Amino acid sequence: MEDGRPIFLQIAELLENSILDGTLAEEEQVPSTNELAAFHRINPATAAKGVNKLVDDGTLYKKRGIGMFVSSGARAKLRGRRRDDFARQYVQPLLTEARKLGIDPTELKHMIDTWEQAR
Amino acid sequence: MSPVISVTDLTKRYRGGVTALDRVSFSLTENRIYGLLGRNGAGKTTLMQILTAQNFATSGEVRVFGEHPYENERVLARTSFIKESQTYPPVRVHHVLRAASLIHPGWDEEFAQQLVDDFRLPSRRNVRKLSRGMLSALGIIIGLASRAPLTFFDEPYLGLDAVARQIFYDRLLADYTEHPRTIVLSTHLIDEVSELIEHVLLIDAGRLLLDADAETLRGQVLTVSGPVASVDEFARTGTELHRVRLGGTARATVRGDFGPADHDRARTLGLALEASSLQDTVVRLTTATNGAAPAITGATSKEAHR
Amino acid sequence: MNRALTVARLQFVAWPFVVGWPWGILALSFFINLALFASIGDIDPAPVTGGLASIYIVMLVASTQTIMQDFPFTIGLGVSRRSFYLGNLLQFTTQAIGYAAVLYLLAVVEEATGGWGIDLTFFGLPFLLVDNPVLRYLAFAIPFLLLGFLGIAIALVFKRWGVNGILTLTTATIVGFGGLGVLATWRGWWPAIGGWFADQPGGALLVGYPALLALPLAAASYLIIRRATP
Repeated sequence: MEDGRPIFLQIAELLENSILDGTLAEEEQVPSTNELAAFHRINPATAAKGVNKLVDDGTLYKKRGIGMFVSSGARAKLRGRRRDDFARQYVQPLLTEARKLGIDPTELKHMIDTWEQAR
Repeated sequence: MSPVISVTDLTKRYRGGVTALDRVSFSLTENRIYGLLGRNGAGKTTLMQILTAQNFATSGEVRVFGEHPYENERVLARTSFIKESQTYPPVRVHHVLRAASLIHPGWDEEFAQQLVDDFRLPSRRNVRKLSRGMLSALGIIIGLASRAPLTFFDEPYLGLDAVARQIFYDRLLADYTEHPRTIVLSTHLIDEVSELIEHVLLIDAGRLLLDADAETLRGQVLTVSGPVASVDEFARTGTELHRVRLGGTARATVRGDFGPADHDRARTLGLALEASSLQDTVVRLTTATNGAAPAITGATSKEAHR
Repeated sequence: MNRALTVARLQFVAWPFVVGWPWGILALSFFINLALFASIGDIDPAPVTGGLASIYIVMLVASTQTIMQDFPFTIGLGVSRRSFYLGNLLQFTTQAIGYAAVLYLLAVVEEATGGWGIDLTFFGLPFLLVDNPVLRYLAFAIPFLLLGFLGIAIALVFKRWGVNGILTLTTATIVGFGGLGVLATWRGWWPAIGGWFADQPGGALLVGYPALLALPLAAASYLIIRRATP
């Protein structure tokens, strides 16, 4: 785990990433809290908190006595939410840095186009 | 849920006037892993000694499992205290383990043997001939295999290499998961245990500085750097713990109830933002209270204790 | 009480160490004496070696060691001071009973074999009523207890008050006995004191008075251990 940010958020995010890239399919069982704790070498209570966060927002659901599963439609919902976050996490710092260097928005758009074509 | 330990206004003064603990109050909830942190001589060992009735309080109230631990077998039989300075009679390793198994009602012999193998402890050897690291391993094995509902580890791994420490953390976590119990882990190696502990108690110069959920603490302490004016503005939203300055640039460690909005604000102010690790937080908190790190220091000042 | 029994059992976990030392030293002392007196040949009067004292000295040392080493260990494991103390009392009493029985048997064998064939008195006690078996047995057992408790008490003084405690205790002992000695010399009491000792039956010297001394020692040790820290 990286330092600094609450670990349960990082656990939740790791699971979200697995759902987004298809490693964890919808209706598939998620690793147990204890498995997550042992794998990441973290406190089981913290792992549980991360999993519960995803249960609370509907990404996962609980089958009693069996474990946690990925909800149907979770992937699409996550993608929508991540798109909203994208602007805040990436676009805003991009604009701040651009302003510092005197790059105006038109020039910035042009740069993006050039880099996209060069890919 | 009734607390496993509750401590009220605990004070310990040694003859000669040293105050090891100064009106310390807290309580511990069942089945959690606690990190008891603080610098050498902060009072951690004294606290654990009093909680296990091995030392005597000057004043204040101590309750363990709801009772006073002194001469109380009901409490002591459920407690295991592994300390760095533990001495053993000059007998063989398996004798020591046998003795520990007699004392602890929850002892798991199979687990103990497995740990002996894991740590490659020579069980026929006399404890007098064990290396420092092997002695530490012996203590760790006793602490884990005793499965006491309340287990204290006081700097349990002097002389243990990184591999052996990792074995300790892994076994501790796995066994705790299967057999939940209250564990108090006192250590200097904060980075190594920061993800194992659920709750942090920080003691400095006999006072309790911090009694906080480890996850809540994470993200509460941020280090921002950038133009002095921007740093000043951000620092106003919390308590500044430390600052270094280089020309018009400053770096400050600030504690506050920060959320995503504060992160955004720092970025808008053009500040670089870094969340402090638990270790950094502890270093900042313990140096700030000692007056060793005034609010503004020159860039040449070493960041203490790193 | 259960925990005290556990502590007593715990003391015997490393029984080769516990039992081995006193009997090893005694055996060594015995065989040396045996060899020595066998080579010298007839001596008149028949020799009394005093080698028996070695096992009692070992017990004194062992009881000191118990406090110095086992107290921090056992208390560290999570046992109350009371249980530790009672467990050790139990352990020392058990040893005293067992060892005295063995010594008694050896003394009987010694008599039956005419002092191991060379008229050697190693296990037999010189000035004791041989005709009272109970008293004879107790004369072996009680000194074990006295020395055991003495060792425990001395070590506890060290545990609780450190070197200063031992120095104070030593000084007090020297001053106390020295003072009595001076007083006795000054007042000319020595003949009376000697006469008193001579008048005491052997049973009183080896059983009665040691028992009277052992009891307050045991009580004082308990009071000291209540506030001792490992």
